[in-house]
Amino acid sequence: MNKPYEKRSLFPYLFYDFAIVTGVIPGLLFHRPKIRYETPAARKRIRSGALLIANHVGLIDPMIMMYTVWYRRHRFICLKELFETRAGWLLDRFLCIPIDRENFGMNSFREITAHLKAGHLVSMFPEGHVNEQGGGPMQTLKSGMILMAMKGGAPIIPMYFKKRKHWYQRIQIMVGEAVDIKKLYGEKPTMKQIEELTRILYEKEEMLRCSLEQEEKR
Amino acid sequence: MQLTRNDIIEQLREILLSADDRNAEMIQSATEDSRLMEDFGFSSVSMLYTVIAIEEVFDIQFENVGVTDFETLGDVVNYIEGALK
Repeated sequence: MNKPYEKRSLFPYLFYDFAIVTGVIPGLLFHRPKIRYETPAARKRIRSGALLIANHVGLIDPMIMMYTVWYRRHRFICLKELFETRAGWLLDRFLCIPIDRENFGMNSFREITAHLKAGHLVSMFPEGHVNEQGGGPMQTLKSGMILMAMKGGAPIIPMYFKKRKHWYQRIQIMVGEAVDIKKLYGEKPTMKQIEELTRILYEKEEMLRCSLEQEEKR
Repeated sequence: MQLTRNDIIEQLREILLSADDRNAEMIQSATEDSRLMEDFGFSSVSMLYTVIAIEEVFDIQFENVGVTDFETLGDVVNYIEGALK
């Protein structure tokens, strides 16, 4: 596996920051994201390492995540196969972390946990692929995210996006409160607790979806 | 003190049981030929959990391996033995 871009480049954030600065205004004008928060605590800025998770409804979801937490650099977890396409060059410069879904490598795992420990933001879509149903219920979540957050000592922050039906509609986002694994189950949760936590996070995502729908009806 | 293969298997049994105890009987009677995914019904997440636990218990690091690279218990024992040397 190649060295991560951050380690082999002299100015690892130059491309990322330039793209964000130049792309954010047209992006915001086009998508006009409406960000809502589950509680006042969810509104607090993320200052430390955290694992951001969200439902995956389309290819622009990473951008929506970036709009939501615009003040931090994101490291997205991407499929290794995407790095082998022409988009690989771009993903590399956008600090994405490749993972092999079929045979998850310990090197990728260590890279992710090292970022979390270093106080970076790692973002992912734990459904594993784009949900064709759009803004409906999510598909089952992969428990691997819990292990990443557990080893990285970082909280998991869930958010939910609603796919817009027409291009002129605003993108709706609901951000949930952080879930701290350590507070819930201590340093070393058992496998059963990890499965339970995956279920809790799924329910939390569903709650965010319902709250978003209620807010929209108001 | 150097661990024998049997010592390693004994410790591995405990780790495997903590990762997934649905096939506890199979794990208790596991041999080096037992297949982790087929015989114990491990998922990739249970495998990842196992690998993390092995790293902590044996104080080793798995380098350049995927969680499904280990087919049998014997493969894991070989890796641990190699890493402990």
